Amino acid sequence: MASFTLLVNNQSYSVETDANTPLLWVLRDELGLTGTKYGCGKGLCGACTVHQNGQPIRSCLTPVSTVGKSKITTIEGLSATGTHPVQQAWIDIDVPQCGYCQSGQIMAAAGLLAKKKNPTDDDIDAAMAGNLCRCGTYVRIRKAIKLAAQKTGKI
Amino acid sequence: MKSRPKAHPNDGASHALTTGRAGSMNRRRFLTVSSLAGIGLLIGIPFANAGAVVDEKNFEPNVYLKFTNTGKIIILAKNPEIGQGVMTALPMLIAEELDVDWSQIDVQQAVLDSRFGEQVAAGSGAIKTNYELLRKAGAVAREIFLEAASKRWSVPLSDCFTRKGAVYRRGTTQAYTYAELVDDTISQVITPEFPRLKDPKDFRLIGTAVSGVENRKIVTGAAVFGLDSRPKGALVAVIARCPVFQGKVKRFDATAALRIDGVIQVVQLPAVASQPALQGVAVIARTTWAALKGREALSVEWDFQGGEQESDQTIRQKANDLLHTVSGAPIRNEGDVDQAFTACVGLHEAVYEVPYWAHATMEPMNYCADVRSDRADLAGPTQVPKAVQERAVEMTGLPAEKIAVQMSRAGGGFGRRLEADYAVEAIALSRQVGKPVQVIWTREDDFQHDFYNLYGQCRLKAGFDATNRLVAWHSKTAGYFWPDSFPAGLIANFRAETVWVNTKIPNGAWRGPGHNVTAFYLQSFLDELATVAHKNPVDLQLDLLGNTDRLFAQNTYGNKVFSTARMRAVIELVAQKSGWYQPSPQGHYRGFASHYTFGTYCAEVVTITRPTPTTYQILKVVAAVDCGRVINHSGATAQIEGGILDGFSTAMNGAIHVENGRVRESNFDEYRLMRINDAPAHIDVHFVPSDAHPMGLGEMGLPPAIPALCNALFAATGKRIRRLPIDLNQA
Repeated sequence: MASFTLLVNNQSYSVETDANTPLLWVLRDELGLTGTKYGCGKGLCGACTVHQNGQPIRSCLTPVSTVGKSKITTIEGLSATGTHPVQQAWIDIDVPQCGYCQSGQIMAAAGLLAKKKNPTDDDIDAAMAGNLCRCGTYVRIRKAIKLAAQKTGKI
Repeated sequence: MKSRPKAHPNDGASHALTTGRAGSMNRRRFLTVSSLAGIGLLIGIPFANAGAVVDEKNFEPNVYLKFTNTGKIIILAKNPEIGQGVMTALPMLIAEELDVDWSQIDVQQAVLDSRFGEQVAAGSGAIKTNYELLRKAGAVAREIFLEAASKRWSVPLSDCFTRKGAVYRRGTTQAYTYAELVDDTISQVITPEFPRLKDPKDFRLIGTAVSGVENRKIVTGAAVFGLDSRPKGALVAVIARCPVFQGKVKRFDATAALRIDGVIQVVQLPAVASQPALQGVAVIARTTWAALKGREALSVEWDFQGGEQESDQTIRQKANDLLHTVSGAPIRNEGDVDQAFTACVGLHEAVYEVPYWAHATMEPMNYCADVRSDRADLAGPTQVPKAVQERAVEMTGLPAEKIAVQMSRAGGGFGRRLEADYAVEAIALSRQVGKPVQVIWTREDDFQHDFYNLYGQCRLKAGFDATNRLVAWHSKTAGYFWPDSFPAGLIANFRAETVWVNTKIPNGAWRGPGHNVTAFYLQSFLDELATVAHKNPVDLQLDLLGNTDRLFAQNTYGNKVFSTARMRAVIELVAQKSGWYQPSPQGHYRGFASHYTFGTYCAEVVTITRPTPTTYQILKVVAAVDCGRVINHSGATAQIEGGILDGFSTAMNGAIHVENGRVRESNFDEYRLMRINDAPAHIDVHFVPSDAHPMGLGEMGLPPAIPALCNALFAATGKRIRRLPIDLNQA
């Protein structure tokens, strides 16, 4: 067991845990931030995607000891009021079916739009290929990302 | 019978619900007065003034509805939500008849309670079995408000009408909102036995597109799935299960596991009479990570019980032997097939094969149980909350009313959560250790201990007469098969036989049970026959269906009647919308398939390209669907889109392999699901405008998607895909 101070969603947390514990389980079990999901534990499905200093990462493969002072953002912290253009577009296009993968999808999409303001279908496919959706919402995900890009452009 | 898919829990039970429940609603109506503080906790009303205690009145005209005099309208969503959209679509039925704006509604998930009627997610049955019941629940409340208002105004009922959550007095500007009518006098209004339902032409909500009611929660991470339902202080259990099916624990050594920080206890799963297959050693810990590490450190010796002898090869061999040597059970037999074949001018035969498929829900299996001496609290994702309660009754001896079952939002179901095995584990463990326990499955557990879609093989033979008409048809199937599927009934000499392969590999219902493979066999073979007969594949099916409507009995969970005219209409619609009879652009190849699943008609055209000789890209799908009346247009379209992509994903990559009695695949690198870069650019879904009773949609897009893709691949390559998953190098 070791102590760690984490900066998650602009809030500082102290946790005592095994140094190898993946960030995913620290977020879920220790901090109660259950919006980030477990899907595979091996970085294959993207359900656990969070941002580290703005970059999408797989929290299931990130030992808590490697997080250090970096800034972690989870789905709960993506926007203060749930009105990030990606979140809003997801509702407008009615993307979710079961919804389980969607926090990861949204974090990946927000990461893409932070780098590319107007992504093409190919950009979207490249950025989102690591995020599985078993319900098959992919066509709507593409639409929603484009809608979010449009909305961001107008802000 | 054995070769049929397992009966769904809702099969045949729906009638009891629609005829037996609604009449009892008047007995359940009551008015409650309670303090706002209590209600606030229950339904989340923001406090205007946290210091003040304000009396609030609550009116519950029936179990599905709650009104407050502060303007809240709460609709309870009765069935488990697994991604099929019932938490939105079922409340829409109530809201429509209630005559309120959708924005006025707050939808909450119901708990298991027999007063709601049947609460399951199975057979795409929620809409079709609840359509009248829930409309009636809304209509009853609307009539009570009408009556209450007419009494207040002392005017006849005919002078009152409702609109957007209020009662208006004709010819005046007077109106009462429903909230204003929630007072002590409302409970004196007699509940109407036979409320008048709206004429469908007056529907304002049904048939529109409504975004899922939990979308706001989902996009902010606030939706509560099973894995998020762990009560504070509950322990986590991760179970080591025998890698070989039906093996048993011989002995185990927990010493190393118990040394892991956070591991509290290691116990062998107790024997559960109703679930003899449940075997394993559970590591119980304070956190998930500790439990996972504990299991890694655990050493268990298994008795494989001979199960290690089984493999893909032995199962395929058994199927081959049975198909060649045993005469199968004739599950459908018309005319004289053998005689007819001898008279045929042209004969065609083919053998199709499908592997085991995993459910691979994005949320792995998990369940929470807190079993005490006098009560039990259960929570988790399940398609069959009632079955979970029944298992708990058997195991604990507690009466059902002492076992509370909460339905978490489920991260996918696809039939996997029709099994209660993982809930039984949690109940058994909580009972054994005397503490609340959440059982968590890893992805590896999930792949290796599933109830798989069954391995199958189908041998098909068809014969043409001198006029190129199909006159004889024979199928013999190992595994699941629906004998009444098209073209049954339309060919004079027709026999379908099945044989059953006994194995230790668990099998269960998988999205579109039986239909998922039946459509692959039949619709691919019909495409072959079109080639043999030099006919357009769409024309071949239209010719078989004929021009006059004929109705055939269907032994299936949906509408029991198959109409040739409705099937014809969806095929014609998909042909029109896809431009089937126009030449496709250079380098585009199209495949067509249709299927009738549990009461809904669906036809699809898939367009693909071939970027290189050994690869293909799905460009576009056009689907035509007749499910009767559409309730939520957005959710309905989503289900067809999802079913199609699920079909593609499975056809392209889905295969569970058995080696030495165990499953080879353990995670998404080995059992691949479709990723976004393989998804088509467009899926166009067209619903046949219809006033017919609404049917389901959760499963219906999938069955035709697989043969439509395979038929497109044939058009592109000349290679016939007779074995799944698709392998162009082997075809």
